[in-house]
Amino acid sequence: MSTTDLLDPPARTEAAVVPPIVRARRRRRDPINLGMAVFGILVFAFLFLPIVVIVIYSFNTGRLLAAWEGFGFTAYTRAAGNAVIRGSVLTSLEAALGAAILSTVLGTLGGLALARAKKKAKWALILTAVLATTLVTPEIVDAISILPWFVSLGTDFGFAPINNGMVRLVVAHTVMSIAVVTFIVRARMSGADMALEEAAADLYATPWNRFRQITLPIAFPGILAGALMSFTLSLDNTIVSSFVQVPGNTPWPVYIFSALKVSLRPEIAAVSTIMLLLTLAALAVVALVLRRFGESTEDIAKTMAGS
Amino acid sequence: MSKLSRNSVGVAALAFPTWAYLAFFFIIPVALVLWYSFGFKPDLFTAHDNSVLSLDRYFETADPTFLSTFWNTLQIAGVGTLICLLIGVPFAYWLAVKVPSRWRALLLALVLVPFWTNFLVRTLGWQILLAPEGFLSDALQTMHLTTGPLSILYTRAAVQLGVVYNYLPLMVMPLFVAMDRAGASLREASRDLGANRWRTLWQVTLPLAAPGIASGCLLVFIPLMGDYITASVLGGAQGNMVGQLVANQFNSAQNWALGSAMAVVLMIFILLTVAIVGAVILAVRAVLRHNRRVVMDRTDIESAVIEEAAA
Repeated sequence: MSTTDLLDPPARTEAAVVPPIVRARRRRRDPINLGMAVFGILVFAFLFLPIVVIVIYSFNTGRLLAAWEGFGFTAYTRAAGNAVIRGSVLTSLEAALGAAILSTVLGTLGGLALARAKKKAKWALILTAVLATTLVTPEIVDAISILPWFVSLGTDFGFAPINNGMVRLVVAHTVMSIAVVTFIVRARMSGADMALEEAAADLYATPWNRFRQITLPIAFPGILAGALMSFTLSLDNTIVSSFVQVPGNTPWPVYIFSALKVSLRPEIAAVSTIMLLLTLAALAVVALVLRRFGESTEDIAKTMAGS
Repeated sequence: MSKLSRNSVGVAALAFPTWAYLAFFFIIPVALVLWYSFGFKPDLFTAHDNSVLSLDRYFETADPTFLSTFWNTLQIAGVGTLICLLIGVPFAYWLAVKVPSRWRALLLALVLVPFWTNFLVRTLGWQILLAPEGFLSDALQTMHLTTGPLSILYTRAAVQLGVVYNYLPLMVMPLFVAMDRAGASLREASRDLGANRWRTLWQVTLPLAAPGIASGCLLVFIPLMGDYITASVLGGAQGNMVGQLVANQFNSAQNWALGSAMAVVLMIFILLTVAIVGAVILAVRAVLRHNRRVVMDRTDIESAVIEEAAA
């Protein structure tokens, strides 16, 4: 887009009310607005700079990520041929899918319940407080608290499934994203019209049909946004994963983090570029689905940001 | 009262799985950490022992290394939040007010792209950029803007830059939402009533954006206090953060009691910060309502805090 498009809008809607002289004054390029537009574009440049760098360096043919040698696709072929990299990316995707499903189910239930709770219901206040606490808990505290618990569950209480690396990742990541889904779904439902459900109930819809045909479609954009958020949160997670992981189930960010201490290769940039493209594609699909549900583009962006 | 909302037992039951999960995988583990923090490390090969309970580990956390690291973390987090705010306010204002609405959704989505890119990878991008033998360094030298290679990587400045970068979208989003929600009509009314641009900014736009400012600051400050990844990628040995100290006690030192005490201190500090900011918001809201009779939307902190988890 060009700079001029982003400058002060001519405010077409006001045109009818605003006298011509004022309109002329507003249309003139005002130094403050120009300054803000330049600033805005600089901030965007700042936001995209390192991402662009990673994408460019994914085409580095050298052995070390930061030392540029030449342009080529060797990093991509080497990454595809590396079983450890493939394994860790797969682990991450599986864990993210698992965590997204589990936290979406639990978060949707929580969100629906909280949206209907009576204003001063004690259980709802406590649940909200606990959820908010999970949000402000630093990752490192989650990590060091859940690891000993997993160990004692697995060894002292003989609960064997928790010794599985994938189960650990899914369970731990879910703790951190449950609140996100709950709050998004609650926000979505508290704005919704309860009368629709009541009407369905009055028309003798069974609770299940009422849920499937009324509640779920209303909550759906929130649920989808929540699922996407928890998927990415899990995909992104480094600290908790590095604590709870079991050898053989190393997720992708933990692989990068340990590579950091040895040597960074362009393969990391190559895989990251592919994952970025996949994430953008997933975002676009979700945006399209939400649009079919009649959301405005701006609402979609806001829902995805979780506000 | 409807048939549905009267059924409050049913509603509470609906939330039961969520409750049970959080109790089992969040409340119990955190309670265990609290419990460990009263114990001690009996010998070299045992991580913790709770046979004698004491507050000694908390006194131990008051040693110079922990205190200076905590202070360092606090400074990075505080300065980082402030810089994010200084960049975020004009940027969000531009997005919410100045940008034509047909561009707004696209630009908003663009702000979120870094947010959806792997945290570690973004930080690695900066590591490449700031490297003394990197192309930015070469370019600056050929343009004679610097003498000698760029020497910012593995310094505190690099850490500060990295955290501002990583957390900026978290500041922009709630600010945007708050400024967008305030709407154009109040600003126009203010202009029509003769207020100039600055007066409108200080007396209308910013007060209405206050809840967004508060939640943006929390969203940046809180995860920043616990983050040590950015610092270890860009700061090297200089980038010691309090989260790293906690991790070390559990990884290398194998002293769960001390590590737990440090974690509890960090947690209490964060909860206090949230409480203080919450109290300030309530106070500001009360004052505003009293003085200006501008009624703000009730904005939940926690609904905005949602994004925080992303970091």
